[in-house]
Amino acid sequence: MALRFTQKYSSARISLSLALWVVAFLWIFPLFWLVGKTFTPNSEIIREATSLLPRDITLENIHTVLKKWPFLLWMLNSTLVTVGSITVMVLVSLFAAYSFARIPWKGRDFVFVLFLSSMFIPWEINAVPLYFVTKYLGILGTRPGVFLPISAMPVGMFLLRQFFISIPQDIEDAARIDGCSSLTILVRIFLPMTIPVIGAVVIWISLFAWNEFFWSMISLQRSAMVTLPIGLKNIMGSQNIDYGGMFAASLLALLPSFLIFLFLRRQIIRGITVSGSFR
Amino acid sequence: MGAEGILFVLPYGILWLLFLFLPLVFGFYISLHKWNPLVGNVFQGFQGYIELFRTPRFWNSFWVTWRFVLFVIPGIIIVGLLAALALHAKLVGGLFESLFFFPYLLNVSIVSILWGLLHDPDVGIFFQYLKQLGIATTPLLNHEFWALPMVAFTTIWWLAGYRMVVFRAALASFPAELYEAAKLDGAGPIRTFFTITLPLLKPTLLFALVLTTVGGMRAFGQVILMTAGGPGTASEVLALYMYRVGFEFLDFGRAAAVGFILFLMIFTLVMILLKFFRLGSELK
Repeated sequence: MALRFTQKYSSARISLSLALWVVAFLWIFPLFWLVGKTFTPNSEIIREATSLLPRDITLENIHTVLKKWPFLLWMLNSTLVTVGSITVMVLVSLFAAYSFARIPWKGRDFVFVLFLSSMFIPWEINAVPLYFVTKYLGILGTRPGVFLPISAMPVGMFLLRQFFISIPQDIEDAARIDGCSSLTILVRIFLPMTIPVIGAVVIWISLFAWNEFFWSMISLQRSAMVTLPIGLKNIMGSQNIDYGGMFAASLLALLPSFLIFLFLRRQIIRGITVSGSFR
Repeated sequence: MGAEGILFVLPYGILWLLFLFLPLVFGFYISLHKWNPLVGNVFQGFQGYIELFRTPRFWNSFWVTWRFVLFVIPGIIIVGLLAALALHAKLVGGLFESLFFFPYLLNVSIVSILWGLLHDPDVGIFFQYLKQLGIATTPLLNHEFWALPMVAFTTIWWLAGYRMVVFRAALASFPAELYEAAKLDGAGPIRTFFTITLPLLKPTLLFALVLTTVGGMRAFGQVILMTAGGPGTASEVLALYMYRVGFEFLDFGRAAAVGFILFLMIFTLVMILLKFFRLGSELK
């Protein structure tokens, strides 16, 4: 009786997990299709829309994209915008978080809540005024004009403060008795312990900055500093529709994310579970 | 000590003031003007808002946005939760997680180009199959009703993996003793889910509800790239309407007003949800 129950149960499990795998492969099917079409000649793409694999494999689409568009410049811009966001956010957040967690000053908690509540200011709605603010500051259409607003988001400051609060006070007190300043404590004692949290912040902000669209689109309207998402948009909006080119460009743009995911899958997923309350 | 504390906060504080707080206040200021930096800005108080409320296209976007949110939220939460449960029950493994999660890493342009091409009447395999099955004659992205749900579906495909990861982490944090006790009491998986998992998951679920709502109301990239708000204005969400009023019709005062309304909508909604479900403590 008990045996029959487990058997039934496990065969239910097996069919359920089979069904789940089918769903997962259907879910990812568009990406396989993308890979197939990237290596299909343009004429065949239109003639045989329902075929999955190319009959004649070609690199023509990739060649065309790289020749016609400054693809590598877009990648460089995206990289610099991402690195800029990371650097500025981590630097300023470390100091702010330490102050909020460890240095008492008048009005501190009010300021903290004020900063934190801006997490619910939807990023996109600030675009119109941000356009003018960055214009007055003279950074409209430049890379810092794209990444400085991104690094002003309260994510890093919040996550680091949470962590700093959890560090035992004794450690800090001992250092103070030895005559360490706040700066020394932050850099020498807190920073080494904080690396995993900084990692989570870096992952969060990289995903955001690398993929940012709305603000980059407005900010970079008349600029050569175009990032990858905006470059792809330009390919899409160009006069002559080049299907093969669109497939190839999407696949090329996807490659960095894919490679990073291949090597840092665990870290990315763990990073998200730490910062999960921010998206 | 006090001066040092303020000094440490200052660098972030300046960034926050310049790029988060100032734009919000400045946006409100712009919205009270006929804003034209070349000719000069004319103060008009709330006249811009009143005119906006009399504009049918604004109300169209307002309702389109809500419809979009209503499609996206249950989609993302249900897909994310089911995938997380399957992973947690060890029905499937790490590869499954990767397959569901990966689309989240793509930028909105890749996602939109890909799904736009799947729907394309000339090269799209999705449209070709629908046509052969006799279901669709026009591409769904050009369809008055179907355009918006299809953009919503793409959004679910893009973002559900993120929720899966968040839900899975929550599931893993629940005490194992509770589940063992339920097993000893002879509760099946479905009963365990409703009596133990769901109540424990409630704060996470509600928080996900808040965040996906905020995310859904700001949707822009996938809409402008996949349908450009069309056909007509059938899928023109508020963020796209705001963009057009500002950067295509060059009426920045009114665009700022749309932005501020969007901000108020989201902010009140979030506050209500947080208060109502007492989620404030999640943030502390």
